Amino acid sequence: MIRRASRAVAVLLVGTLLLTGPTGCGIPNESEVQVDERGPSVVAGSSSLRSAEPPNRTAAGTDPDAFVRNFLSAAAGEPDRAYQRVKQFIDPLERDRLQEKQGSEIGLTVVRLRDEPVITADVESTKVRLVVQQIGLLRANGTLVPPVATETEYRFELDTGEREESNGLYVRNPPNVLLLSDSALREFYQAETIYFWNSARTRLVPDQRYLPLSVPAERRVTDVVRWLTAGPSDWLGPGVSRLPDGTNLINNATESDGRWEVNLEMPGENDQRLDQLATQLAWSLPELQGPLELKSRNQTRRVIDSLREHRLANLAYPISDSPQRFCVYEGTIQPLAFAGEPSGTVPVVTTASQQVVSAALARAGDRVLAAVVLAGADGRQRLGVGGGPDPVRIAITSAPYDAIGRPVWLRSAEPHRPYGLVVADGGLYRFGADAQMEPVPLLNAEGPVTAVAAALDGHRVAVIAGGALYVAAVNMDGGQVGLGPARRVPVSLTDLSAVDWSGENTLVVAGSGGRPAVHQTSVDGALETPLNSDVGARVTHLAAYPVNPVVSISIGTLMYEANGVAYRSNPFERIKQEQVLLTPQSGTGQQGNPTAPFFFH
Amino acid sequence: MTTSPTVTGPSPSPSRRRDAVRELWHGLSGRFAHLAGRVHRTWRRSLQVRVVTITLVVSSLLVGGFAYLIADKITSILLENAKTDVLLRLQNGREYSAKQLSFYSTPQEAQLQETIEGTVNYLAGGDPQQTNGVVVALTADRYTGIIEPRSSSDVAYRPLISKELRDAVADGNVAHQIRTGRLTDQRSKYLVYGSPVPTKFGQLELYYLVPLDRQDATAADARATVVATGVALVLLLGLLAALVTRLVVSPVRVAARTAQRLSAGLLDQRMVVNGEDDLALLAASFNQMATNLQRQILRLEEMSRLQRRFTSDVSHELRTPLTTVRMAADLIFAERDEFDPAVARSAELLQAELDRFEELLTDLLEISRFDAGFAMLDAEPTDLVPMVHRVVDRLAGLAERAGVTIELDLPSTPVIAEVDPRRVDRVLRNLVGNAVEHGEGRPVLITLGIDQTTVAITVRDHGVGLKPGEEKLVFNRFWRADPSRARQTGGTGLGLSISVEDARLHGGWLEAWGAPGQGAQFRLTLPARAGDRLTTSPLRLVPADATLPFGGPRDGGGPLAIGPGPDGALAIDPAPVDRAEVPS
Repeated sequence: MIRRASRAVAVLLVGTLLLTGPTGCGIPNESEVQVDERGPSVVAGSSSLRSAEPPNRTAAGTDPDAFVRNFLSAAAGEPDRAYQRVKQFIDPLERDRLQEKQGSEIGLTVVRLRDEPVITADVESTKVRLVVQQIGLLRANGTLVPPVATETEYRFELDTGEREESNGLYVRNPPNVLLLSDSALREFYQAETIYFWNSARTRLVPDQRYLPLSVPAERRVTDVVRWLTAGPSDWLGPGVSRLPDGTNLINNATESDGRWEVNLEMPGENDQRLDQLATQLAWSLPELQGPLELKSRNQTRRVIDSLREHRLANLAYPISDSPQRFCVYEGTIQPLAFAGEPSGTVPVVTTASQQVVSAALARAGDRVLAAVVLAGADGRQRLGVGGGPDPVRIAITSAPYDAIGRPVWLRSAEPHRPYGLVVADGGLYRFGADAQMEPVPLLNAEGPVTAVAAALDGHRVAVIAGGALYVAAVNMDGGQVGLGPARRVPVSLTDLSAVDWSGENTLVVAGSGGRPAVHQTSVDGALETPLNSDVGARVTHLAAYPVNPVVSISIGTLMYEANGVAYRSNPFERIKQEQVLLTPQSGTGQQGNPTAPFFFH
Repeated sequence: MTTSPTVTGPSPSPSRRRDAVRELWHGLSGRFAHLAGRVHRTWRRSLQVRVVTITLVVSSLLVGGFAYLIADKITSILLENAKTDVLLRLQNGREYSAKQLSFYSTPQEAQLQETIEGTVNYLAGGDPQQTNGVVVALTADRYTGIIEPRSSSDVAYRPLISKELRDAVADGNVAHQIRTGRLTDQRSKYLVYGSPVPTKFGQLELYYLVPLDRQDATAADARATVVATGVALVLLLGLLAALVTRLVVSPVRVAARTAQRLSAGLLDQRMVVNGEDDLALLAASFNQMATNLQRQILRLEEMSRLQRRFTSDVSHELRTPLTTVRMAADLIFAERDEFDPAVARSAELLQAELDRFEELLTDLLEISRFDAGFAMLDAEPTDLVPMVHRVVDRLAGLAERAGVTIELDLPSTPVIAEVDPRRVDRVLRNLVGNAVEHGEGRPVLITLGIDQTTVAITVRDHGVGLKPGEEKLVFNRFWRADPSRARQTGGTGLGLSISVEDARLHGGWLEAWGAPGQGAQFRLTLPARAGDRLTTSPLRLVPADATLPFGGPRDGGGPLAIGPGPDGALAIDPAPVDRAEVPS
């Protein structure tokens, strides 16, 4: 019995083994759901408040003025929802008349109202007429490109809102563009400066972008990096170098414990490129002070412990921090003295026969470059150039011209081969250390050139041609200074007479807005601020020391000459004779006014 | 067995088919039973088969269990590693996704979709060709229609994420599941891991679908290796067991064969002794035992031979002086009337004791002749009926003296058998004499029976009978029912022994039956032709009037035959019907 039982057990065991053997010990085809751990819970909505959103349709109530203003700011904000926001203002029956564009094609037509909106109440609806100046098209990538539209006025109607289902006003017969007023641009956008390397990769060139304030602060880094990878503004293109083609930000830049992480895909990367990119990022993200980690395809390549330190160690462009004021007085260059400002000796030695009309001095390392316009006895003017250690002697002069404007030195040029630009007889010329003036062609600009100004970085110039303002990039292709296609800067002033850079992306321009005036404008013309709406006379000469982030404490300051009298800003006042520090050699009688003031830095 | 197909009458086809099925079933079961029987026989007979089978079964169990454990362990280790890896990736991926998605505070933001796609591609490692089939998916079950779920490669991963897993993840758990499905061109197992991703506006779900092809292949490899090793091991063990058993069993078989030959009388058979191991010891011991046995047997044979010779010699040597004594005693006996009565009585006693002595010597000589194997059967066709008459006549005087009547139940026809008349006569005389002697005055019945091949004679008395067990003892030499009773009356104590030898010489049987108070019956059965083998007897050993101690077979009322069964046991069978009826 026992034997039989044991045999049965054995048979059973073998059977079970044979059955379970092949199936029992493999990876199962299906398994139950197993919970490993509790996942992180959702962080309760700490979404940033959208105070920077433009007001909606009903915010204005039934006030047509406020409604029109709100309508002109409705498109502000993140571009992908601009149509949605604008359509809120439009009569639901007519919303289809606003044709939507997608993605990068979305552009906001930025206009400057030349006048208050003309609102005429009618029987059925209120008619609105806007007289505008086209400023540009704000693209989804934050650049403001020259205007494509040519309309000078827009007309639409307001539904007085006699509807039951909703209150407030509606726009009827809307313009088929997304309108944005310059004031809305000022109010709901922040102008951001990003930097690109120049062609020689020796210094950074600022570029301007607009970022909606509604974008959360955390996404700013991502957007800036995307701008950098997308390349510079069109007009700046010839003067700067882009990141390698195919450079892309991988996902968003993220922050943890104050440390930012930027993950890039960068074909053809090398140490130099990465270093340059790091510097570019450091300058383009001025609000970040802490560490930044630069990754290339998920590999950590650069860690910057402190962006602030990095900026101090790697200047965007060389600049001396103490501008000295000089002027032309009695045919010589004389320093100006203001309380609390440094002043120095004149680094140029001129002979008694040399009647200085205007001058430009620039430091290039420990050398001083000097370009002076000399009035000859024959009533013609010549350009005199000198270079070397302080003081320099003006030895070489150019051919005579009827009238030569104030020359400018391009600070980007190599110190031993300096270049400058000068306007003479309505033409734009370049000159070098040999004082030979060669004409420089300027594309896209018409009319006689009357003024030229170079930015601190030396790769952008502002030119007044035919009474209009242009900016252009400087390139050094072929070892010669050339200018890229000019971009017109729409300003409200007309009959422009003088220009200079008052900041990295701002210009000071003098012209006529009914009366002679000095305005400050952004490099694209959108943000225009009057500095002095009545200077009394046409400004013939204008010099500014630009606000810049390189010099930590820099106060923009401005001097100009109108009607033979020099003025200064902060506060606007006349530069008096007493403020001219006469050097001993020119000890003649004190007559006349200081003219053609300029900064030496 | 039941309904045979030859049954006449209408036989519908279903029943025929059923019959056919039954036939088939019977055939099959029969064949199976036959096979099972053969297997069982082999199992019982072959130690080698048993040992090898047991070894195979036990080692298969052990090796199988071990192999299962190892394979299972390998699989679980592989799976655990994969799980740990994926969980780590999932956690990192979740952190990354959470960071990337933290910029968005509503699900409607347009760049969210882009970020989701970028995140998924980033987590998958960018290049879809180099992800080893890993699919990363970011879904938004709570924002269906607002947020499009994205996966790193454009495959239908949805069916692989079961509803249970989705529920578990939606519930805020990190969970996993193994699923089988087809993402690429081949069907594979996938480890699906899911985790919630917290964002400012709610929860998204991150899934990793990692193919387990490599692990599966490794596990299969390991399994195949383990199984192959196990099978080889089991086979090796079986072979080993067979070899070892064969090593042990073959000498045992030789020993068994040798023992068989020894018992058959071939006393000089010996085993071959090889080496010095246990089996050699067995063979040596066996040989020694055989030698000892042979010596003992030879010695005993010699002793027995000497004894028989001695008996024979003594008998012969006694006969010569006895003849002289006899002659003298006869003389004295003849002259006894002239002596005084006391002496005459002594002479009579002397004469009587000399008769007995002579008889004893004759019997002793006869016995020694049997023992020496010199007894020869002198068979001739003899009619047994006159022989019975002759014996009864000869003993009539004795019967008369004892007051016993002898009844005969003989066939009327002659009963011819090839027998030695002298010996049969002696046997009958002995039996009848004993019956008369122990008949206690009651009648003695002699019955003669015959069938085709055998003749039988029974002698029935109604004396004191035999106690149980005495049926065999009565044939012993000098046996006495009551040892205290002096041997006064007749008989030498060798008569029945000689009779048994006589019957055996004929190839017949001499058996006894007796019960206390019921008398006894002796039966002599002889083959009708000399040299034939006996199988049954025409007469019953137990008389019909005897009361059996157990009543069972008697109930049938039929006559019973008790004869020698197999292995020397007594068998009680229904008597053959075609028995020759003996008229009284």
